[in-house]
Amino acid sequence: MPEYIAKKSALTDFFKALSAGRRLLTPQGAGDQCRLAETAPDQVKLDYVNTHMSPKTLFFPQTEKLMAFHKDASKPDANIYSCAGDKAVPTVVFGLRPCDARGLSVANKVFQNDRFTDPYWKGKFDQTVSVGLACAAPAPQCFCAAMGGSPYGLTGLDILAFRLEGGDLGLKAGSEAGEALLKDLKLESADLAAVFNSQQAAAIQAQGVAPDYRPIDEANLMALFQDPHWLSTAENCLNCGVCTFFCPTCHCFDIQDEQDEKGGVRMRNWDTCMSWLFTVHGTGHNPRPSKTERVRQRFMHKLKYIPLKQDGVRGCTGCGRCVAMCPVNIDIRAVALKMCQSSAPSQA
Amino acid sequence: MPALEDVAKKIRESAKRLLAEGRAEVVVGYRRGTIPLTTAPFFARTAEECDQLVWSNFARINLANYLPGRKKVALVAKGCDARSAVGQVVENQIPRDELYVIGVPCTGMVDNALVAAKEPRPIREVVETTDDSFTLKGEGYSVEVRKEEVLRRNCRTCAHRTPKLADELAAPEVPGATPDDFADIKALASKTPAERLAHFKDLIKDCLRCYACRNACPLCYCPICFVDETRPQWLGKSNDPMDTLTFHLLRGLHCSGRCTSCGACETVCPVNIKVREFNRILELTVQKEWQYEPGLSWDQKPPLTMFQTDDAAEFIK
Repeated sequence: MPEYIAKKSALTDFFKALSAGRRLLTPQGAGDQCRLAETAPDQVKLDYVNTHMSPKTLFFPQTEKLMAFHKDASKPDANIYSCAGDKAVPTVVFGLRPCDARGLSVANKVFQNDRFTDPYWKGKFDQTVSVGLACAAPAPQCFCAAMGGSPYGLTGLDILAFRLEGGDLGLKAGSEAGEALLKDLKLESADLAAVFNSQQAAAIQAQGVAPDYRPIDEANLMALFQDPHWLSTAENCLNCGVCTFFCPTCHCFDIQDEQDEKGGVRMRNWDTCMSWLFTVHGTGHNPRPSKTERVRQRFMHKLKYIPLKQDGVRGCTGCGRCVAMCPVNIDIRAVALKMCQSSAPSQA
Repeated sequence: MPALEDVAKKIRESAKRLLAEGRAEVVVGYRRGTIPLTTAPFFARTAEECDQLVWSNFARINLANYLPGRKKVALVAKGCDARSAVGQVVENQIPRDELYVIGVPCTGMVDNALVAAKEPRPIREVVETTDDSFTLKGEGYSVEVRKEEVLRRNCRTCAHRTPKLADELAAPEVPGATPDDFADIKALASKTPAERLAHFKDLIKDCLRCYACRNACPLCYCPICFVDETRPQWLGKSNDPMDTLTFHLLRGLHCSGRCTSCGACETVCPVNIKVREFNRILELTVQKEWQYEPGLSWDQKPPLTMFQTDDAAEFIK
């Protein structure tokens, strides 16, 4: 597939054409105010690091109504639940970082697979065109390459944009839909493979030498599970939900019913495996009674269980949010290295 | 100003001595963080592990949070943290003789948000040698920052920087700062209830209910927090503003007369909510009603945990 060029002088036209019939969301604001927001085609920014929260919030918000009913007895549907999910709007997101696009593709397999389809996720996800912006200069907390990704990765993206000298944008299709869209946009096509490859190599090199986490993939699951390091790894954990809420692949939720005199809703809210409440049973028994089990669960899920279920793809994409945000500096890279060391065969 | 390494040396010496003497089985202190502008709580149990203990301008987490239920523990503590530790003893969370406080007179800790505002470029490295300034390094730049300009809000008004009740001090005593004048809180108090509700709703509008504020707080040691109760469930779990506000208001009330303004809640908040505003309102009230400041005595209980028949109780109307 050839690449395409959006000229610097015509970037506004490019974003106008890209967002024809769709709302355009792009990263706006700096630092911890940086978030995906509706943007006019002439207001797109290219100089952000990444959004503060991961883009999963678009498809899986902190709180989402699933069903609702009213108690107006004069109407025939009183007290009967009907669907109340967020309305899906045709959308193009420009500026996803490849780590986050990869994260969305991991979460997508949880919400849409051969066993389940989550209509609330699907409605929004399937109506969204994902356009990434490659990371020429990775931030200090970035380690996508170590987790098997790339700052120029295409996974989970319809289109990946990368900056060319002089301010033009190079565009590469990541999906058939992306390829079709690029063709429709009537852009200049060009062979940018050499530029792309050299930029990608430089960006990966800028992340430093990537530790080799493959021993975790090869390790016996029970050996990883039973390793005594979890006690010390978890000792300073506060068991807050920061890592899980900021993670682009964490997807657990809690379903709650609420009602008042007028009606009621069934909703889902983000939940976190760091919480005591996450696993407590109706009997009072808790299979993850202390923070040691809870911390182990999070890292085993990211680095062992998800790869087992998703053909070796890790549940961590190296976006670095949990590393930057953890109040007590529990660094998934350090935990992964400890897990690499516990690859001895299990006695159990 | 003492060199940070000198303070760290003293902490390490004390830690090793306490472990060797059997006075402590674990020393709770700080180690270097894996990324710039951070430290991590660290638990040293051997002399070798003690060598990882550091002192830093980024030692923000209140380590007294790790005390409840522990035995034979030595705690590296700033002024505020030592007061929290005293509070833990007063509130029977740890017996006095199980606790040894290595106090570190403190000139305040750095607010990373202020650093980011001053230096928006990616920071790859921080060099700190003294407790009054540090150097930020990134791609093609190196900038010195005076700590005074990027202090956390609670540190700017900390009157108890030297942990006077500590068992020993790892650095020379330092004078306290000018105390909080509560000007913003007093101004808020003069507003109408509707205006105050709007103010508080705005204050917590980004809250994710991650409970990092609660979990980092040395006062929040309840085995089951009221927000986690399920039989009955007291509080909704969504991002409904009244449910979120109820959590913050109730947590604030639970902490009244006990908060030492350590700022851990604000430090750990991932969306920069000024959580202490709730606590400061109550701090002001408790100071006015009972002339009480927590953590300054081993035997004086927080006023709101006691009942006395001669309480003036003029605030009950």
